[in-house]
Amino acid sequence: MTNEIGQPRVVDVRDLGKTYGSGEAAVEALKSVSFHAAAGEFVMLSGPSGSGKTTLLSILGCVLRPTAGVVSLFGRDIATAGEDELPALRLGLIGFVFQGFNLIASLTALDNVALVLQLRGRAAADARREAATLLGDVGLAEKAASLPRDLSGGQKQRVAIARALAGRPPLLLADEPTANLDGHTGLQVTELLRDLARAHGSTVVIVTHDNRIFHLADRIVHIDDGRIQEEAA
Amino acid sequence: MTASNLRLSGGVIPSKASPETTPLSAPTAVRPSRSLRWRTMLAVGARMMFYDKLKFAGTLFGVIFAVILTTQQIGVFLGLLSKNTMFIDNAGADIWIAPPQTATLQAGKPVPMSALYAARTTTGVAWAEPLLFGGGTISLPSGGSQAITLVGTEGPRWYGGPWNLVAGAADALAQPDAMIFEDSQRDDLGGLNLGSVREVNGHRVVTSGFTWGLLPFAPSYAFAEYDYARSLLGTPSDEASFVLVGLRRGADATRVARDIRAQTPTVDVMTTAEFHGRVVRYLLISTGIGATTGASTAFGLIVGLVIVSLSMFSAVVDNIREFGTLKAIGCRNADLALMLFVQSSIYGLLGSVIGLTQITIIADAMRSPKLALVLPWPVFVGTPVLMVLLCGLASLLALSRVRKLEPAMVFR
Repeated sequence: MTNEIGQPRVVDVRDLGKTYGSGEAAVEALKSVSFHAAAGEFVMLSGPSGSGKTTLLSILGCVLRPTAGVVSLFGRDIATAGEDELPALRLGLIGFVFQGFNLIASLTALDNVALVLQLRGRAAADARREAATLLGDVGLAEKAASLPRDLSGGQKQRVAIARALAGRPPLLLADEPTANLDGHTGLQVTELLRDLARAHGSTVVIVTHDNRIFHLADRIVHIDDGRIQEEAA
Repeated sequence: MTASNLRLSGGVIPSKASPETTPLSAPTAVRPSRSLRWRTMLAVGARMMFYDKLKFAGTLFGVIFAVILTTQQIGVFLGLLSKNTMFIDNAGADIWIAPPQTATLQAGKPVPMSALYAARTTTGVAWAEPLLFGGGTISLPSGGSQAITLVGTEGPRWYGGPWNLVAGAADALAQPDAMIFEDSQRDDLGGLNLGSVREVNGHRVVTSGFTWGLLPFAPSYAFAEYDYARSLLGTPSDEASFVLVGLRRGADATRVARDIRAQTPTVDVMTTAEFHGRVVRYLLISTGIGATTGASTAFGLIVGLVIVSLSMFSAVVDNIREFGTLKAIGCRNADLALMLFVQSSIYGLLGSVIGLTQITIIADAMRSPKLALVLPWPVFVGTPVLMVLLCGLASLLALSRVRKLEPAMVFR
């Protein structure tokens, strides 16, 4: 399956619905959302708080089940994947960048990155070598032995990007990656994410409401009240 | 494209800079070897555990406390049992002939001398000797008196006689008026020294030696030659407190005991192991010592369980975002369970090593004939196993929290 210009679709979402709770307390977070991202695309999901963009990202990240619709990653319907398959799918397909960095506090920057590689089956020495290369790519080679508590917010997010890129996952999902950073650092980090993702050939979906980084997107998808309101290239 | 033709090919995804329209060769799930995965989780688990040093120390303290409390209770209990069975174990007999219904090593209804003669004529018996047990009092130079447990033993082999001698020899009992006393009680018995002359049950005795640690849960043992002890206790010549029997090489104790029993139906005939077991059972069941010690030991274990359980649960709650992150990036519940199990095992093993070292030091410091912690090697082997199991059990609470953890929480 390809998009309008013939690129293969990495993400293909159709008529997606997600309802939290049941009965009178039910909250419909996503309402018949259809969305796609092509290979190598850099897509931003924007919208106000509570619009459903993080819910959509969670479903794409295989950490949340939809209540309706089809979610296809690389042609595989993840909505029907078994519970036991999801961790392996996340490990194999997806790199995550979180708003709060979510580095393991007890591990050094190098070990945080190497952890993903080791979980993916790389031997420890090999994983550490590649992790060091990735940290070099994000400009933190000299901080490899630092614990997260000794890094600034921007440095932590760059380590998180290196971790997300570890193992060259074809899909990167980022949740408000600039929210805890100042404007300049946020822009730098997003540019870094875009450049490295392109170099690695990864598709990127970013949830953000930081309009200072919108210009970096190939496409911006605006969500409000659980529906896609508009898309802009 | 179907799931069956998916394969890992992270490098073939085209970048925007070089778009292509060929069918996407899609990556798929990663399933590394279990051993590699687990080695990784072990390393992460250990690092997470040692990172919060205060919590680590608190949890470890709980385990150490439980180990000390538990082993101290077990040591006291075994020490108590030892005090009540040490004479049986050290008398040198294979078979004991005792008054009927004998549950402890105390002077009670006498054993007729006919039992001694019956034993001596039984096939398989090498020797049989009478033993006297009775209460005595030693007069003190200050004017008071002190109770002793008077033991009469027959020479020249002195079965049931003094052991752990720190001064003198058993053969000294063959001398007129000779008695051997417990060294740790010398002051209580009026400042005894070798050669000290005292009065026991109104008769003159001469101190001829000292034992060490022969202090039962009763007045200390004091040994005398059998006939002299009989005169001190006023025991008739046709009676004894017990009869000790030794077997010829290769004789079966159970069979010989049965043969003696057939000839002397009015007394109890037991192998040494049976007598030992009977005393232990009596102490455990009839005296409440077993229930009391068992409750204290269980209390120690429960305290350890609660401390470790709450500490590990609180460590998980404190690091809930990290556990969520690990789940989000692809760790399974089994991986995290292993990590928690490794952490709990480290707590159990480390706590056991430190706790057992501490209790060994404590036991050495407080060791005396009056109060001895008995800690045999099974305690040192069994405690780490027990504590690892206990800590594993304690980690279940933390594990239940981790299992319920939704990886989607990392986006909240």
